[in-house]
Amino acid sequence: MKVFSKYISKHLLSFIGLILALIILNITTFAFTFHNAVSKNFGSTSPQNMLKQVAAASSSNGITKEAEKILITNSLWAMYLNIEGSCNWTVNLPEEIPTEYSIQDIAIFSKGYLKNYPVFVWSDENGLLVIGYPKNSYMKITSNYYPIDTVRKIPLFFLGIIVFDLAVLFFAYSNSKAQISKNTEPIISSIATLSEGKSINLSVSGELSEIADSINKVSNIISRQNTARANWISGVSHDIRTPLSMIMGYANRIVNDKDASSQIKEQAAVISRQSIKIKDLVQDLNLVSKLEYEMQPLQKENIRLSKLLRSYAIDLINSGLPDFYSLDVNISPDSENSVIECDAKLITRAVNNLVQNSIHSNPKGCTIILSLQITKNKLLLTVQDNGIGISTEKLKELKNKPHYMESTDDRLDLRHGLGLLLVRQIIEAHHGIIKIESNLHEGYKTNIYFKNANFNKPKEHFLWLL
Amino acid sequence: MEQSFLHTKKILLVDDEQELRKLVIDILSDDGFLNIIDAGTVQIGLSLVRQEKPDLAILDVMLPDGDGFSLMKKLRTFTNIPIIFLTAKDETADKLAGLGLGADDYIVKPFLPQELLLRVYAVLRRCYKSDSPLLELEGCTIDFSRAEVNKNGIIVSLTAKEYTLLETLSHSEGRIVSIDALCEALWGDNPFGYENSLNAHIRRIREKIETNPSKPVSLITIKGLGYKLNARK
Repeated sequence: MKVFSKYISKHLLSFIGLILALIILNITTFAFTFHNAVSKNFGSTSPQNMLKQVAAASSSNGITKEAEKILITNSLWAMYLNIEGSCNWTVNLPEEIPTEYSIQDIAIFSKGYLKNYPVFVWSDENGLLVIGYPKNSYMKITSNYYPIDTVRKIPLFFLGIIVFDLAVLFFAYSNSKAQISKNTEPIISSIATLSEGKSINLSVSGELSEIADSINKVSNIISRQNTARANWISGVSHDIRTPLSMIMGYANRIVNDKDASSQIKEQAAVISRQSIKIKDLVQDLNLVSKLEYEMQPLQKENIRLSKLLRSYAIDLINSGLPDFYSLDVNISPDSENSVIECDAKLITRAVNNLVQNSIHSNPKGCTIILSLQITKNKLLLTVQDNGIGISTEKLKELKNKPHYMESTDDRLDLRHGLGLLLVRQIIEAHHGIIKIESNLHEGYKTNIYFKNANFNKPKEHFLWLL
Repeated sequence: MEQSFLHTKKILLVDDEQELRKLVIDILSDDGFLNIIDAGTVQIGLSLVRQEKPDLAILDVMLPDGDGFSLMKKLRTFTNIPIIFLTAKDETADKLAGLGLGADDYIVKPFLPQELLLRVYAVLRRCYKSDSPLLELEGCTIDFSRAEVNKNGIIVSLTAKEYTLLETLSHSEGRIVSIDALCEALWGDNPFGYENSLNAHIRRIREKIETNPSKPVSLITIKGLGYKLNARK
């Protein structure tokens, strides 16, 4: 989101830069274009120069031939009026210009035009030199007087206008920036969701609906691919189950067959053990892919974890846990009645994966302890064993290594961590936190913290009297 | 497993895979089951239930002419025999569909022979009581038909709660029954904090059945988990 504001601001800055460049360009163009006019005004034929030149080259009695020639070549005319208002001499005087003037006439034309000829005057002690320029060659402003206060206010006025314009521009900018942000926000957040591999459904109306449509299409493709992948895994795992049942069943029968030789029994035992590994893998793989692609609906109920742990432990012991493994369940009294909303089958599966992990890592036997307690207002479920554990480096690797389902590195070992990945996924689906502790030869311990537990107080009962 | 009175129960197996049927039959008959019948389709399965009146049906979910769930619905219109589903599908929704219909258990392929046997026995024990009301323990005999304990010729009667406890434990003889399951049997669904009451009942039962109640051999405490009732070997 911030990225987008920055993007807009950056573009605004370059836009301001462009406006400044344009202003400079305009001024340059203006200066260049009017350079001629300005130089003409201040050049040798400008009224001021002409007046000076002619005044120097003439007197009340006449004008020199050279000055007369200059006037004629520039299509100008001139006359000299004496104190009484009549012409002493004229040069190139148009017919319509009179030769006698009253004081009023002089007062009017001296600031402006004489019969539409722009005229300029030069006064000396004997009279007035008048030079006329061709019609429409100069514009004279006849009413250029302003109150001095107004003139003084002009810079302030211009500054005010500029500030006002800038304010309007900034308002328009921030308004459109907010508008763009508002319209693009759902699109950007849905792209972020999409980048996590989750599907989205974006509904945006207006100009951006086309983008929203494209994003929805991408999301559909991703979720179709995810579904196809999960279904594919599910199909393979389904089809492998019946044949595997027979492999496991018959291998097991051979192991228990009185007539089979010990060598054959041993071989059958290997088949049996390995097929159980395939069984675990198939079961984990299917559930992992379903959780990964969010295709496993959680059947959440309020579950007493103490009861779940006991029931799991009893099932495991009753199903014939070998004697060299011992399984203890420690439930602290305060956690006995703690309830969490969870999918009991998935939580049992997670606990089972951890216990099976301990069993498989310690083929010579170990003590496995399932415990439940309350620490820092969280329900803590611990699965630990006193077996061989793993080294610090291995533990670090286990924590940091991306799982093969999330990694594109094809060297990753499939056998490792699928069961643990499933545990992690199940716990994350229940908003729990998982922490692994282990040292070589000091056992393996998995702590699972649940935040949303409901710690029911044990009730007092006198029912034993009944 | 010594569950001789259960071995006479007739078991129907419906699965389209002939080799798997043979495996299951082998597993069951090896363990002592005497009456096993099998079918490959819904139709044959249905007619076998009508003719042979089995005591337990093990049904596959995917069958060539229908599915196990609909077969179960048809069976339920005229019989209440226990039903175990055997399937390659492990989706939770399927499990709920099966158990929601009133299936007694659900076995997911691939399974180990022991697992199959364990579940078959568990369902049968739950549904069919021993024909003999007598349970022989080390040092005494319990007569469930009269709610009495005969310890060395001295007859002691059982209270209703003690009877329920012993009955529940005897259904899973030789196996652990959780504290929770016992409390539920005594006081109904999901009771909290009844452990003390349960302990009191267990203590009284021991006084009635054990030769030395402070060193029990028949009714064993499994610390932190539950109790186990051992029959005389």
